[in-house]
Amino acid sequence: MIGSWTPGLAALALVIAAVPAQAQQFKPTRTIEFVVHGGPGSGNDVFARQLSTIIDQEKLSPVRVQVVNKPGGGSTSASNYMASKKNDPHVIACFTNIWLIDPLVQQAAVNRLQDMSPIARLVVEPALVVVLADSPYKTLGQFIDAAKASPGKLRWSGGSIMSRENTVRQLLMQKTGARWQFISFPSGGERLAALLGGHVEMMIVDPSEAGEQIRAGKFRAIAQVSARRLPGFPDIPTIQEAGFDIPDVPQMRGVVGAAGMSDATVAFYEDMFLKASQTPLWKKFVEESQLDGEFVRAKDLKPFLNSFEATLRDILKDAGVKVVR
Amino acid sequence: MDVLNGLLHGFSVALQPANLFWCFVGCFLGTVVGILPGLGPAATIALLLPLTFKMDPAGGIIMLAGIYYGAKYGGSTTSILLNIPGESSSVVTCIDGHAMAKNGRAGPALGIAAIASFIAGSVGILLLTLMAPPVAAFALQFSSPEYFALMCLGLALVVLLSGPSLIKGLLSLLLGLWLTSIGTDLFSAQARFIFGQSELLGGMDFVVVAIGVFAIAEVLASIDAGDKARMLPVPKGLRNLLPSWEELKACRFAFINGSLTGFVIGILPGAGAAISSFIAYGIEKAFSKHPEKFGQGVPEGVAAPEGANNADSGGALVPLLTLGIPGGGTTAIMLSALVLWGVRPGPLLMTESPDVFWGLVASMYIGNVVLLILNLPLVPLFAQILRTPVHILFPIILGISLVGAYGVSGRLFDVALLVGFGLLGYIMVKLRYPTAPLILGFVLGDAMERALRQSLTMSQGDLTILVRGWISATMLICAVLILLLPLMGRFNKARVQAIAEGG
Repeated sequence: MIGSWTPGLAALALVIAAVPAQAQQFKPTRTIEFVVHGGPGSGNDVFARQLSTIIDQEKLSPVRVQVVNKPGGGSTSASNYMASKKNDPHVIACFTNIWLIDPLVQQAAVNRLQDMSPIARLVVEPALVVVLADSPYKTLGQFIDAAKASPGKLRWSGGSIMSRENTVRQLLMQKTGARWQFISFPSGGERLAALLGGHVEMMIVDPSEAGEQIRAGKFRAIAQVSARRLPGFPDIPTIQEAGFDIPDVPQMRGVVGAAGMSDATVAFYEDMFLKASQTPLWKKFVEESQLDGEFVRAKDLKPFLNSFEATLRDILKDAGVKVVR
Repeated sequence: MDVLNGLLHGFSVALQPANLFWCFVGCFLGTVVGILPGLGPAATIALLLPLTFKMDPAGGIIMLAGIYYGAKYGGSTTSILLNIPGESSSVVTCIDGHAMAKNGRAGPALGIAAIASFIAGSVGILLLTLMAPPVAAFALQFSSPEYFALMCLGLALVVLLSGPSLIKGLLSLLLGLWLTSIGTDLFSAQARFIFGQSELLGGMDFVVVAIGVFAIAEVLASIDAGDKARMLPVPKGLRNLLPSWEELKACRFAFINGSLTGFVIGILPGAGAAISSFIAYGIEKAFSKHPEKFGQGVPEGVAAPEGANNADSGGALVPLLTLGIPGGGTTAIMLSALVLWGVRPGPLLMTESPDVFWGLVASMYIGNVVLLILNLPLVPLFAQILRTPVHILFPIILGISLVGAYGVSGRLFDVALLVGFGLLGYIMVKLRYPTAPLILGFVLGDAMERALRQSLTMSQGDLTILVRGWISATMLICAVLILLLPLMGRFNKARVQAIAEGG
């Protein structure tokens, strides 16, 4: 197999150079590496392993899709690895927002997501804005009025300053002129504990985590961070519906190929993941994790990434983060 | 009675042959994972997760939990024998554990580690069984100021860890505090001290630093000692391989201390097993009649931290099972495993999925017995490793260390870091700087900085938030007292001397 592969690839490269790319069919000839920027067990890792299991079970790929963990430095270890695999049609990665943000704020993170070969966006993760069940704030509007009344007193718990929680806060503060604090905690557990213990007043959390706390009567959801209402929470308005017209901040997961992939190769992967996203197994996973499974193709993904990057850059600048690119 | 009924129900679940089998598998895998440095319980559970999809949730969580607490049993083995901390929670065990091994008491050290793990592990589960809900409510009272005070208390222990020279101890600590600040700052998203290396953006891994300054430095120092470097003594005969009655008696207090300290710190979602083992060691030394012997191989110095990191497992499951809050990497994966099996972890788990909750709790009693049975017979076997001649043993230690560092995230960069820290540790040993404070600073510094900045953001810069709560105030006062302790001793000595001279 290996022996026939090298000349085969060389021939393929020659042919691609000679004729328009879309005329060619790409077929992987060895194991596909599916790079993940988190360690085993991280959200991204679980997501990618679920995908590779489905591709395997439904025989959507002629070769195995092997998850490869490249943790470290946010997305930078993984994106450095991708850069080292330039022009290799057998290396793809699972990206999230952090792949866009790291190059914006880190001088040392030199590999932009758009310079690789974006293949598809698979899901968007909605979130809920929650308060304690006995909190005086019944709506997002009430919270913001209270924040206006005593600037800087109220607190949100969240992750890093680059996270969506803070992005939404920045946008809301800009829109309304209210001001409140953002307290960073490295792990989701600590963020939850801070709200449960009453040390902060509000947090943004994903629905699968918040759902149980709401059911147990500990939390109350007052708004959704989502383009449309989640099936599980039909009565909770989105932030925009609550009267705050801020841009949508999707928390996305998708697939990107190493830089220099031909259109035919991108088309092959796009097709493979599109088929995977239509399987009942995947639909069940998306439903259980309360994700938004809208599939965005490669041709729409690139313009989206560019405009989203511009939005993020403005938000980060406003948040006081030093933007380097 | 609810608890008793629940527990009985739990045993009826846990004693089913299939679940007993999974419990054994989990404990066995955990022990192996604990022994291998670099391969942690979190990664193991993640890799095994797809295999458990078809399993019954109770059996699945019983096995995964077995890996979790089993790894803490196994972690002590390489710490004691080779000075290689297998897991972050077993770093402290290296200090006195390896010293015991050098004194020819490797077998007893391993035995004490296993017994302390068993006792404290069981106490941790007992406390989990009896008082999970109220204890969880207590854990929620801990906010950032309390965490800051806890970390201060931990750092104050440096005074106790530093050996003869306090100045050298503090310098070593400062180095650790600086090293931990390398990487991306959570609050401002700015990179600190990365020197243009994108590999450093995520900071350095604790295991790499610890293996470097402990294991590699030890090997280098031994080689440097030349012909004095010889085989470690391993006395023959079973009696010398098991802890003596005196040694066990010396550990009485350590067993209790480890159990309680480990459990209390375990329930806090923002602390970790490494912190609980450091604090248990510090308490042990502070209350000891012969603190000067710590570091030279006292059994209490093994029993307290080993006990603490096992009681910590029971504690960490409290917020996970009663509130749905994971305290660390491993429990976070167990949480996502529960979700994948269709169990909903959260405040209602105990009432809605009693099979899972009580089955798990009961299986942990069984698991601890399994681990003791599994580990004690291995003690004589493992102790024989030290009979290996140094020209074979040292390459083995280096090999395990290098593989362990590479295994952390599969980057050669970490291997280079390991070598760097090995050299640093070697220089420190040569210049008689203690290395334990560096590690302590590295572990606590990050959490301490975060807690301080969180507190000050919450209070908009008002420092009094740090002493407003009684919990944080008490801990800060204790920290100050510990810091003043040596001064008082010196003052007292001077006073006694003055009186004697005057008289």
